[in-house]
Amino acid sequence: MGRLRTLFLAPAAAWMLALMAAPTAIVCAYSLLTRGTYGGLGAPWTLENYRRLADPLYLSLLAHSFYIAGAATLICLALGFPLALFISRAGPRKHLYLSLVILPFWTSFLVRTYAWMFLLRDTGLVNTVLQTAGLIREPLPLLYNDGAVILGLVYGYLPFMALPIFATLERLDPHVVEASADLGARPLATVMRVVLPLARPGIVAGAVLVFIPCLGAYLTPDLLGGGKSAMIGNLIQNQFTNARDWPFGSAVSLALMAIVMALLYAGLRREGEKLL
Amino acid sequence: MNRRAFLLGSSGLAACRRDRRPRLNVLNWSDYVADETIPDFVTEFGVRVRYATYESAEEMLAKVLSGNSGWDVVFPPNYFIQPMRENELLAPLDHALLPNLDHLEGEFRHPPWDPELSWSAPYMWGATGIAFNRSLQPAPDTWASLWAPRTAGRITMLDDPAEVIGASLKKLGLSVNATDARELDLARREALRQKPLVRAYLNAEVRDQLVAGDVLAAQLWATTAQQAIAGADDLAFVFPREGFPRYCDNAVILRESDRRDLAHSFLNYLLRPEVAAAVVTATQTATANAAAQHALDAEVRDNPALYPPPEILEKAEWFLPLPAGAQRLRDRIWTEIKAA
Repeated sequence: MGRLRTLFLAPAAAWMLALMAAPTAIVCAYSLLTRGTYGGLGAPWTLENYRRLADPLYLSLLAHSFYIAGAATLICLALGFPLALFISRAGPRKHLYLSLVILPFWTSFLVRTYAWMFLLRDTGLVNTVLQTAGLIREPLPLLYNDGAVILGLVYGYLPFMALPIFATLERLDPHVVEASADLGARPLATVMRVVLPLARPGIVAGAVLVFIPCLGAYLTPDLLGGGKSAMIGNLIQNQFTNARDWPFGSAVSLALMAIVMALLYAGLRREGEKLL
Repeated sequence: MNRRAFLLGSSGLAACRRDRRPRLNVLNWSDYVADETIPDFVTEFGVRVRYATYESAEEMLAKVLSGNSGWDVVFPPNYFIQPMRENELLAPLDHALLPNLDHLEGEFRHPPWDPELSWSAPYMWGATGIAFNRSLQPAPDTWASLWAPRTAGRITMLDDPAEVIGASLKKLGLSVNATDARELDLARREALRQKPLVRAYLNAEVRDQLVAGDVLAAQLWATTAQQAIAGADDLAFVFPREGFPRYCDNAVILRESDRRDLAHSFLNYLLRPEVAAAVVTATQTATANAAAQHALDAEVRDNPALYPPPEILEKAEWFLPLPAGAQRLRDRIWTEIKAA
């Protein structure tokens, strides 16, 4: 039995070791090196890259990323919970709705983000329709601001919120809901006081799945934010491309990973048992 | 040897025998050759070419920095020649194999970044200016006009630190290659002052929005602007009066290449006037090849956005490689602009 277990574990363990642990170790090593004059890496070993992180500029970038990711997560929750509840109670059409939620994944995220640019720009669909209908005279500035970035993130990550919540709601014993109604609770009170607390593990899982990728997003702020509302992911990307400062980029990546893991640990320590 | 190994080996050998022609590996900017440039070379020289493209010079450098990237010929900008030499990435050019270097225009036979062309063959060059909608009157003709409140929210700047900081420096009458902390701080303030007026920091993506009329003026590379202007009569391009940055992409042979003779043949082929002229017509870019220039249609040759007259060109400034300290300072300024 023991040998079989090892055998079954081996492929995944080897995969993680080769493609997760090893690259992370390399990033760790890079973060302690010094940038060469024209990019590239070199000695001496130094903590300088981490010291640079204390610069208020980078902290404000981090705070801004938290704000954008937090807003996107809350909106995803506000949209995802009712959506999951609706699907879980949709009876035989459940599978149709579920496949509709997953449908966008058939197209690349990049292409879909470009599509949003065409919808939101001054001469885009939304402004054209509103102008033709006579509702607005000047086009609304829909593209290239924080709102557009949050919209793009919510659009992209909504399924990651809706699906885990759906999974917990589906396992919810319908008798509990019936009991709540029998005891005189109105539907809204049942949702808020019975269903929502029971869906908590799904909500936590969904929030984690949405918040973490949003925190490190760089494509959406670049395309929908027009490079005007940079997030921490853009800082990292820039270090590896334009600035050619791989050591500093590695240090920022690791700092971001550390923050995410600390948050996960703090958040999941309370919820962990329920999730498992 | 058992039978299975023999069969595997022999099919492998057969695959080799099918195509023993030498293969040249070329990594170039996207949209930087004509459709027939590479196929014609393949046919004429009886070789194979692996051709791939990149979108930024940094991307290319990151690939070849290791010294065993598998590429033979790449096209770095002029300000990368010295860094690549210092990193021992370049192979010396053998002028005996490059008779077509004689076709180069005078200033490109002894360019400041490689005066004897010992390492690089100038290919095409470009410059940065302002693409604008003709409805904008008076028409912008200075970098300062991109700070004017009248176009608030209707202008874009390039998503490139050297360009945005460079335009701010030029507006102040300073060099695009400034390394002095005080000068860079002045440029930082200019750029931060401009940001509320800027719709977005965009590169080639701005073309559509210029054509659609969403954007009235954009800091843009002459070549990219040319591609937008070709699709819209109401667009024009101007080189700002304060001066503007200029860059030149060069064909180089990597030191790691073990097909240097073939690589020289390829460089010499690109320097042929008719080949270079076809590339210019296809890409709407300015060539360093004087003989190619004569082979062009008058319409392309006399386009002042691609080939500005001498009195404008003398205000241009070549981008230079910058010391590490200045690069770091500029990167922090860039982050501050983007985060503001």
